[in-house]
Amino acid sequence: MQFIQVENLSLRYGNQDILNNINFFVTKGKIVGLLGPNGAGKSSVIKILAGLVFPDKGKLYIKNIPQPTFSELRQYCGYLIETPSFYPYLSANKNLTLIKRISKSTIDIDALLDKVGLAQVNRKKVKFFSTGMKQRLAIAQALLRNPEMLILDEPFNGLDPNGFLELKNLLKELSENGTTIFVSSHLLNELEQFADTFILLHQGKIAFNITKEDLIKSKKKIIFTFEESFSEETKLYLLNINGIFESDFKVILHLCPNEIAKTVNKLVTLKSTPINVETHTILQEKYFEITV
Amino acid sequence: MIRLIEIEVFKLFSSYRTYITFVIAIILMLIINLGFYNDGEELFDFLLQSISEYFFIEGNIINGYLISYLALNTLWVHIPLLIIIVTAYIFSSEFEYGTIRVLLTQPISRTSLLSAKIVSMILFIICFMIVVALFALVPSVILFDTGDVIVFIDGIQFIQEDNFLNRFFSTILFAIIGMVAFSSMAMYFALWFKNTLTAILISLGLLIVHTLLQKFVFGIFSTWQPFLFTYHISKWQLLFVNDIPFKSILNSVYFLLGMSIFFMSLSYYKFNKLNIS
Repeated sequence: MQFIQVENLSLRYGNQDILNNINFFVTKGKIVGLLGPNGAGKSSVIKILAGLVFPDKGKLYIKNIPQPTFSELRQYCGYLIETPSFYPYLSANKNLTLIKRISKSTIDIDALLDKVGLAQVNRKKVKFFSTGMKQRLAIAQALLRNPEMLILDEPFNGLDPNGFLELKNLLKELSENGTTIFVSSHLLNELEQFADTFILLHQGKIAFNITKEDLIKSKKKIIFTFEESFSEETKLYLLNINGIFESDFKVILHLCPNEIAKTVNKLVTLKSTPINVETHTILQEKYFEITV
Repeated sequence: MIRLIEIEVFKLFSSYRTYITFVIAIILMLIINLGFYNDGEELFDFLLQSISEYFFIEGNIINGYLISYLALNTLWVHIPLLIIIVTAYIFSSEFEYGTIRVLLTQPISRTSLLSAKIVSMILFIICFMIVVALFALVPSVILFDTGDVIVFIDGIQFIQEDNFLNRFFSTILFAIIGMVAFSSMAMYFALWFKNTLTAILISLGLLIVHTLLQKFVFGIFSTWQPFLFTYHISKWQLLFVNDIPFKSILNSVYFLLGMSIFFMSLSYYKFNKLNIS
């Protein structure tokens, strides 16, 4: 079931097209990753979905029902927009209490702070928090209303590897419990680890769109590096499977996942054991294409 | 709506900036009182030099009510400055902290949010003016006792002792209306520039320019007067004239209320159309 659907979303600032007729949908309970280099328009999409920026054109459907404005989505969503923002002169607990009162939430704040690993510092003023702590508090803020959908803009900024792992697990857990998650990031490798669908944005347009299932099934770009130059037999074999020679020691192949092991085995039997195998998904290839 | 107002008031009174303005206002009033307590007589002898040739003054004209009246002269610049430091901050701090994004992603309308902020701004001005009134009045009455008041507005005005408090508190009420008008303008600039300092500087700049223009009362310049907000704010002085010109004061009240409505309407329009980047 589609939780939201966005049609023909366009945004202009002056003469510049920020977003140009974007269409996408988000399935309920799935994690959708919005990818793109800086300036691709990710934050603009997020801000429109948050009702902070008014688009020039576009239609929003929530659970297949057309909505008069994008602001309607706020009733269903928790947000983290760009940098985490709080009243620095208030404690973590007080900051959340304020927003809890505004949003008429009934959630237990102490339990929520515990969930994001901030139980020990809940009385500490936010101005003394580190970037990672603020990021965790922002996640707690987004979860305050127990939202049906979470919209997160660059949530991994400022998190150390442990913080990233914890957040990734938290998002997975939420998704398993039915929360729909829409997350933007320029960190492709991080997002690839847990998103179910990927939307690649470039210069205000959707450059590529793929589900995780299709991504797994799709051919991968494999770069084999060898210690010695290829024998004639190996060269012939690689040419037969459409190998592109980068040098006497390096070859690029596009292979389906089930072909990779078979190819390596064949190379071993040909006494050309690769010393390094580099794998790129089709999503990574597209991403590199637009960023180069 | 009540909940939003409570939250805005809580935020306002959780910020140290709010208390600093109260402390400065109290110190200002205490300095005025202590100044007159120490050197009051010498100062008044100097001020009364010109009229002492024509009048025989019996007894001491310095009393608590006169000092309270003189303390009201801070309404020209000091009090407006202190007030806009806080009122501009009520609006622009949300942009500076980025919390505007958090607030506007909650299921509340922009109009409700701005209304709650405007109500908290008015409540702050009322509290602030009550504190100013109390600290202008109570210490001076304790130090100097009460008495009739002589003031110089379009000549010499004699205000009877039992008539003073009505005029004093009417002035405070009038000042609240004036400060709301001035703060509404500061609020609009705060929403426009999303920065406290810029909003304060522009509002203060306009206060200074209007005050200066108000001094040019001759020829073509005299036609400007009714359009200067400082001209209308300064009408509080007329509450200390023997025969109070109520019509003129009411006109200024209407002007200041109109100015408040104008800037509040502009702010609602601006805020509802504003893209939060």
